[in-house]
Amino acid sequence: MRRQAGGWRRARGVVGAAVVAGALVASGEQVAGQEESRGDADRTAWKSADPGYTLSFPRDHAAHPGHRIEWWYYTGNLHASGGRRFGYQLTFFRFGVDLQPVNPSRWAVRDLYMAHFAVTDVENRGHHVAERLNRAGIGWAGASTETLHVWNDGWSVTLEEGDSPVHRLTATSDDGGLALDLRLDPVGPPVLHGVNGFSQKGAEVGNASHYYSLTRLRTTGRLVVDGEVADVRGLSWMDHEFGTSFLEPAQAGWDWFSIQLEDGTDLMVYVMRRTDGARDPRSSGTLVSRAGAAHLRVDDYRLTPGRRWTSPSSGAAYPVTWRIEIPPHGLDLEVTAAVDAQELETGRSTGVTYWEGAIDVRGTRDGVPVAGSGYLEMTGYAGAPMSTVLR
Amino acid sequence: MTAGRPSPSPAARVSPAPAGLFRTFIARNLRQQPLRSAATVASLAVGVAVVVAIQLSNASSVRGFSTALDALAGRTSLELTVPGVGLDETRLANLGWLREYGLVSPVIDADVLLEIATDGAAPALEAVRLLGVDILRDRPFRDYPLVDGDAPRLVTTQGFLDLLTDPRAVILTRPFTLRHGLAVGDPVTLVAGERTVSLRVTGILGDEGPARVLDGNFALMDIAAAQWAVGRLGRVDRVDVRLADGVDVARAEREMAARVPPGILVRRPSSRGAEVERMLRAFQFNLTALSLIALLVGLFLVYNTVSVSVITRRSEIGLLRTLGVARRAVVGLFLGEAAALAVLGCALGAPLGWLLAHGAVRLTSSTVSQFWIASSATVPPLEPRMVGLAFAVGLPLALVAAAAPALEAARLTPLAAVRRDDDLDARARLSRRSVAGPLALFAAGAWLAAQGPVGGLPVFGMLAALAVVLGAGMAMPAVLFCFRRWCGAAMARWLRVEGRLAHANLGSAIPRLSISVAALAVSLAMMTAIAIMVGSFRETVVYWVGQTLQADLFVSTARGSPAAERGGISAATEAVIAGHPAVEAIDGFMGMDVPYGGSTITVGAGRFATRLERGGLLFKDPADGTAAMSSAIGRDRVVVSEAFSLKYDAGAGDEVQLPTPAGPTPFEVAAVYFDYSSDRGLVVMDAGTFERHFGPERPSGLTLYLASGADPQTVRDELNAALGPERRLFITTNAALRAAVLRVFDATFAITYALEVIAVGVSLFGMAATLLTLVLERRREIAMLRLVGADSGQLRRLIVVEAGVLGALTQAVGLVVGLALSLILIYVINVQSFGWTIQFHLPVGFLAQATVAIVAAAALAGLYPARLAARFELGDAGGIS
Repeated sequence: MRRQAGGWRRARGVVGAAVVAGALVASGEQVAGQEESRGDADRTAWKSADPGYTLSFPRDHAAHPGHRIEWWYYTGNLHASGGRRFGYQLTFFRFGVDLQPVNPSRWAVRDLYMAHFAVTDVENRGHHVAERLNRAGIGWAGASTETLHVWNDGWSVTLEEGDSPVHRLTATSDDGGLALDLRLDPVGPPVLHGVNGFSQKGAEVGNASHYYSLTRLRTTGRLVVDGEVADVRGLSWMDHEFGTSFLEPAQAGWDWFSIQLEDGTDLMVYVMRRTDGARDPRSSGTLVSRAGAAHLRVDDYRLTPGRRWTSPSSGAAYPVTWRIEIPPHGLDLEVTAAVDAQELETGRSTGVTYWEGAIDVRGTRDGVPVAGSGYLEMTGYAGAPMSTVLR
Repeated sequence: MTAGRPSPSPAARVSPAPAGLFRTFIARNLRQQPLRSAATVASLAVGVAVVVAIQLSNASSVRGFSTALDALAGRTSLELTVPGVGLDETRLANLGWLREYGLVSPVIDADVLLEIATDGAAPALEAVRLLGVDILRDRPFRDYPLVDGDAPRLVTTQGFLDLLTDPRAVILTRPFTLRHGLAVGDPVTLVAGERTVSLRVTGILGDEGPARVLDGNFALMDIAAAQWAVGRLGRVDRVDVRLADGVDVARAEREMAARVPPGILVRRPSSRGAEVERMLRAFQFNLTALSLIALLVGLFLVYNTVSVSVITRRSEIGLLRTLGVARRAVVGLFLGEAAALAVLGCALGAPLGWLLAHGAVRLTSSTVSQFWIASSATVPPLEPRMVGLAFAVGLPLALVAAAAPALEAARLTPLAAVRRDDDLDARARLSRRSVAGPLALFAAGAWLAAQGPVGGLPVFGMLAALAVVLGAGMAMPAVLFCFRRWCGAAMARWLRVEGRLAHANLGSAIPRLSISVAALAVSLAMMTAIAIMVGSFRETVVYWVGQTLQADLFVSTARGSPAAERGGISAATEAVIAGHPAVEAIDGFMGMDVPYGGSTITVGAGRFATRLERGGLLFKDPADGTAAMSSAIGRDRVVVSEAFSLKYDAGAGDEVQLPTPAGPTPFEVAAVYFDYSSDRGLVVMDAGTFERHFGPERPSGLTLYLASGADPQTVRDELNAALGPERRLFITTNAALRAAVLRVFDATFAITYALEVIAVGVSLFGMAATLLTLVLERRREIAMLRLVGADSGQLRRLIVVEAGVLGALTQAVGLVVGLALSLILIYVINVQSFGWTIQFHLPVGFLAQATVAIVAAAALAGLYPARLAARFELGDAGGIS
């Protein structure tokens, strides 16, 4: 159980979505209760993560509708030809609501599909956000079970398979002022987190997820920010995670990092903060170098918050500089937010607030200077602790 | 002339200031004639009130609908639909480009019934507007303010989650839940067509938006749950589009219309309101015109009051003129009198109208929702605008009415005025004007009646009716002269001495009587006309019902109004019914509303083969339409109602373009048939043809033909038992349906009768007031009659006979003129507004009863003046010099 914390508790951009999902779990149980009279318990049972399951690609890039929760998560740091720098996040979520709705209508909600799209304009200190929340309905949102193809009301990610598979991402905000059209070429195979991509989540059997990443994708394409078009290139990170169970109480929030260093090393690491201020022992990470993926236990690393930035709208104080020390691997990194103000208030749909944004990284590895960039997510700084929000 | 009045000589008090003159000359006079003043004010008030009431109720029925429409449309800029059948939702997948224009939200929009269990009593049943939306997409379109008791609830998606996950979830409004004592978690039953669905209240909406305008009769469901509940799986009623900021609506409408596949209509939500307004326009125009009749009666009485005032004070006027008061000032004095009366009348009329509107709304909105739209009309509060309307209508018209006698007063030379011999006798000759005037008006009426409609409204027809009414009023002096010349002997023979005296009295008072009698004649003519028109219409409907309602049993869903409601009766239900051994044949009817020519028509489907076999259609063109109808089976041919044919000028052999899911499609009109169920225009095709163009549809009503000898009542009970209580179906026997049709008919004309009774009552009141004046003025003569030996009983009889004779004369005129008016109503106004052929029928019994009642009422109206006259003592003759 090297990575028993799994990805579920850091949950990333899903924070807001998780609120929806959390409530859905409750009402889903209610529906399940009502359906008992059907005498067919299997129809409403979501599949638990299975430690014996072997992830295989491209098959497991596609959706796993037997599981309640699933997301595809893309972030990246991009540069325009003129030198301007951007960060982006495009995340597609699927939340199972009712495994087999009794209502034969196409609009019956089996799954809810949510998507978050954010772009950070580093030069102008801008942070632009758009979101989508839809049911599948007549196919306005969905996720293919055949291949990696997830879409939500015009936004989509599509995997073009072949000798060199390509991920294509596209999204446009309602007013057209914010848009993204990217081609992502993976460098290297998927990295499996936990034990072969299986990550035990909590004490209970079945509270676990399947989780892997493409930690480095060469990216080219075009961004529209504030109506201005920019041709961009850079690096992206992709996560895909699916399972059924949820967060535990006593977890206040999390600080999660994905980092790509210029020497080719990629790092995923996070800490769960408990409501009593202690760090959760299930926090963990994965270090990917040419030698392969190395898993990081909670004792292998230390994350130290530095300067804080206080959001004028939510009042939350987020650490926007960090120090990451991983002694077993000789890493000592200073993390600085590319822009302080990268808070997302998901507004109408969920009402949950979190910080998710591009970061600059510099430091040393075994004394040798290294630099890079990545993404940081911080939750549980505004409003109620996540444990109460997520029930 | 003024000797009998205890007033001080006006000359002593004449003040040069006009205000002072008005006080002494007019105001005091009004005070001293309280009954006549009150009668005039009251009649004006009633007239104004009726106008205000009709305006308020018209406004509320359309406004209720329009505001509901606005609230339901929310911030929708454009909507896409296939008229009648809605959109096949799989076609939406090809409309992804709509997102280029803005936000897109598919909607289920249905009229359903909600059944709420009550303790012990029968469950409460209310019609509600059900909106089924995808709440995830719809919130930018419409506001759904969830509340928790009085406090607003934080509105997040989470607040609507039950809606997404529970197919039985429904959100109701605070007014509705308060009315029925419902709370979150309580069960309600939705009835849509024959289906019933158990629902659970999961949220309550605040008293805003749709909840407010529909009187709380609004229900919100998830689109999936709504589709399932109302049986519209696979279809949405429309797709609402909210254009992005800065997108021009007109341009987007044009572009989208060019881009959608044929059959899909792109329109603004407000266009539906415009269609409804156009549909109701004729109905409301007629009500407004009718309300003006009541006002007209009031104006006659103003004219009467001012005329009497002028006539009785000729000498005073002469004195004023002698004292140097200008003609203009005299006109001003009498116009001031009219204005004083009118201001009082209008001030009373506005609130009275508001009260009347409550009754009128109940009557008209049942008519409106019976025939046109489901409306939840409520009377708007009495706004200053409506008070303004009361004065704007009442005051100028009252001044116009008073203008003629006032000018006449001003024309008096001082010499002529003070000479007593120039009195009424000079006016008591039959002038050429009193014959030529009415004749000219009748001729104008005849010409106007021959003109066509204006914009679908019978404007000339109404003017023709007005000309005839005014002609009748103006003819009254001539009629009274005829009476004086030719009826003396008859009066003396039949009514002995009272008759002879009454004849003489009436004959000498013609100028004074003419006006108030004319007002009564106008009311009576209108009443007669409406009685004939409604009676003819009723007879026509009775005949039509008798000819066309041939089936033995009628099966309908809960919303059994003739207003179109598609679908409803399932194939399974029909199979159960067909399985009954006594059921020989089944016809099914289904209708749906589609926009056509800027208004709304009903496109329906029936089983022509069954209908032809069983008979029971009345054809207008060709007269035997059965061959034409059978030719329509399997072809793109339709039969259309008379109203459709008239409104859209489409006869047999013509082609009509109907909107179908595949786009506008031509259909040939095979025949025109008589239909009185609705004026909106019906286009009916064979069920097979319908299915070919619009897709499979279940009927909303079935008619059953039973084997001969089967007892409909028994079969009905057996079918009810076989179908079970879960299916909400109403099975009606032929006899019960016929009765119901006539009940609806009578309810429809209730307001018409109500308006007429008011007009007649007001004019009777006016006549009584005039008689009273006459009695007061004749106290000298009456006292003389006592002197020569008449007892008080004879005097009473004399006055009552005078009143009764006046009533009879007036009713005679009313009958003749009413007959002419009824012809205009039936053959001009009705045809132009509604497009119905009404067979003329004289309701002899009703008219005879009405005549007796009017003469009796007129005689009764004479009772008070008669008792007054009987009390005159000899001393009252003391004024004789």
